[in-house]
Amino acid sequence: MVETIKNKINIGSTLRNYGVMIGLVVIIIIVSIVEPAFFTGNNLLNILRQSSAIGLCALGMTYVMVAGGMDLSLGSTVSLAGVIAIMIMNSIGVTGNADVAAVIAVIAAVTAGGLVGLANGVILATINGRLGESFIITYSMQIVVGALALLVTGGQFIFGRFPEQLYSKLGTGLSPILIFAGLAIVMQLGLAKTNFGRQTYFLGANMNVAKMAGIKVKQLRVINHMICGMCAGLAGIIITSRVYSASPLQGTGYELDAIAAVVIGGTSLMGGSGGIHKTILGVLVVGILANALNVVGVNAYAQLIVRGAIIILAVGLDGLNRGAAIKGLVS
Amino acid sequence: MNQQSQGLKKSFNIKRFIVEQPVFIIFLLFSIVIGILKPNFLGLSNVRNLFMDISVYGVVACTMTIAIICGEFDLSASSTFIWSQILFCTLLNRWGGSALGILAAAIVTLISGMIIGSVNGLIVTRLKINSFITTLGMMIIIKGVALVFTDGKMVSTSNGFIAKMGTGALLGIPYLVYIYVVFVAIAFFVMKYTRFGRNIFATGGNAVVAKLSGIKTLFYKYMVFVIIGFASALAGIMLVSQVRAGSVLYGTDLALTAVAATVIGGTSLSGGSGSVAKTFLGMLVLGILYKALIFLGLQAYYQTLIKGLVLVVVVAADAYLNRSGNIRK
Repeated sequence: MVETIKNKINIGSTLRNYGVMIGLVVIIIIVSIVEPAFFTGNNLLNILRQSSAIGLCALGMTYVMVAGGMDLSLGSTVSLAGVIAIMIMNSIGVTGNADVAAVIAVIAAVTAGGLVGLANGVILATINGRLGESFIITYSMQIVVGALALLVTGGQFIFGRFPEQLYSKLGTGLSPILIFAGLAIVMQLGLAKTNFGRQTYFLGANMNVAKMAGIKVKQLRVINHMICGMCAGLAGIIITSRVYSASPLQGTGYELDAIAAVVIGGTSLMGGSGGIHKTILGVLVVGILANALNVVGVNAYAQLIVRGAIIILAVGLDGLNRGAAIKGLVS
Repeated sequence: MNQQSQGLKKSFNIKRFIVEQPVFIIFLLFSIVIGILKPNFLGLSNVRNLFMDISVYGVVACTMTIAIICGEFDLSASSTFIWSQILFCTLLNRWGGSALGILAAAIVTLISGMIIGSVNGLIVTRLKINSFITTLGMMIIIKGVALVFTDGKMVSTSNGFIAKMGTGALLGIPYLVYIYVVFVAIAFFVMKYTRFGRNIFATGGNAVVAKLSGIKTLFYKYMVFVIIGFASALAGIMLVSQVRAGSVLYGTDLALTAVAATVIGGTSLSGGSGSVAKTFLGMLVLGILYKALIFLGLQAYYQTLIKGLVLVVVVAADAYLNRSGNIRK
């Protein structure tokens, strides 16, 4: 921002600005040495493919978090959307044209996600909820949406029974990476270059002032939550397409990974800063780390410990960043 | 509860009463409706069971209220609860032969709960990380530890003494209910009549002002987490005495239920006000609701759905009433 400040704190600011990048490189180097199979083209492509679902969630989460909110219902939304898509494919896709069914399934899943986001957004906008309420309301919505997914399926795992045409291609090969990359570009432009994006930053930085400045705060919040829900819907499609089945618990924990990715990337929890380009970096870190833990052979339970620690650590670093940015103003 | 109306010296206003004490209304209506639908519901044994059920979660709800009054929040309570069950069962199986061993197992479990709480407290107060994120992270970490420790399996115990504690009763009232009532009574006393309690109110009301008036706000924030860790461990021990086993599947909804009970009771999430006694009522309302859902024979998923919806409605209503109240001022 200001050149004079930038010149003064050299090493500190470099570390803060590029810390994630450096961390990423360090992780890659260490794991490649420990396990040569890690740094192969195949595995790297795998990482990108696996990251794309969490990446989509993280893109949506970035919008909500830049606006100063939080969406913990994301994981359940992923499950619900996936379940709906597979159920549609199993009914229409088997009897009719599988390609048309795929389009319907995609639209239905994204709509379902959008509706969950709509509910979140309308509730939070109505009560003027701050971060605290965002947490609790969306956490409760996670329970509600999760229960809906269980109700729709009767708690059962659903196997795909449709012909493997268009729908199966969405989550395999290069398409999930392309979908993620394409959406990331669009959303980056939306956040950085449009009026809507600038208003979102304003809203996240200071809701009261944004309201006084004449920004339609409520409308903006609803839209942001809807975008987040729709991203979750897309993630649900990609996952179910890849595994050719759906489980009502499939998305459990996705919201945490998404938050981790966003925060590691450097979008502040307090809203008003950050961006999609940072989140992409965060997604890569989370994806590479998860893959590295698998490759090195850490078991799934122990990975939970690492995941939790990373969330706390990332937010701690975020706090340090902010502390440095507004030194002296912190109470 | 009458103090409020006395202090304000206003004529009895039913609309005001409903807005300020919605719990009583819900509580009464609900019991009556279910009582009419299912006469058994108000039977003595069912009421006894109801109190049994709420005593375990109630202990944590009580301390969650203290945390919320202090302006903090603990999601990791559910994982501490899970970890405590598992640890207590394991220790009982090792040392459970003698009375001293059982006591030692209980003490070690309680201390481990307090250590988890103090880690939460240190992260929040020293590293200045938002308590939601801290406890969210800790929730995952402790759950991971519990899973690694048990390899995802259930740990059971056949200790006779513990079984007696969980099922036994004095004067027709189960031991667990005594523990709960005594716990709430102590918490109520501390929050209302001691400096410690008043300072927690002050910290939650306005941390900056509290600090300027010489209150060690960070200390109280830290203590709140230790207390909630202790309560979660106690709840874990109480659950083990009831079901004689510990598992990562028991009590994942604890933290949110505790928050729900607090908010239903009428303690605002914005901190600085509220009461442990109100949470007792909130817990009772939730207990009746959950019992009624089972009584009406609803499918488990519908029960979860309704629990979640209740939470959404209650929290949203609380925030809405609070904000609109502030505007009126």
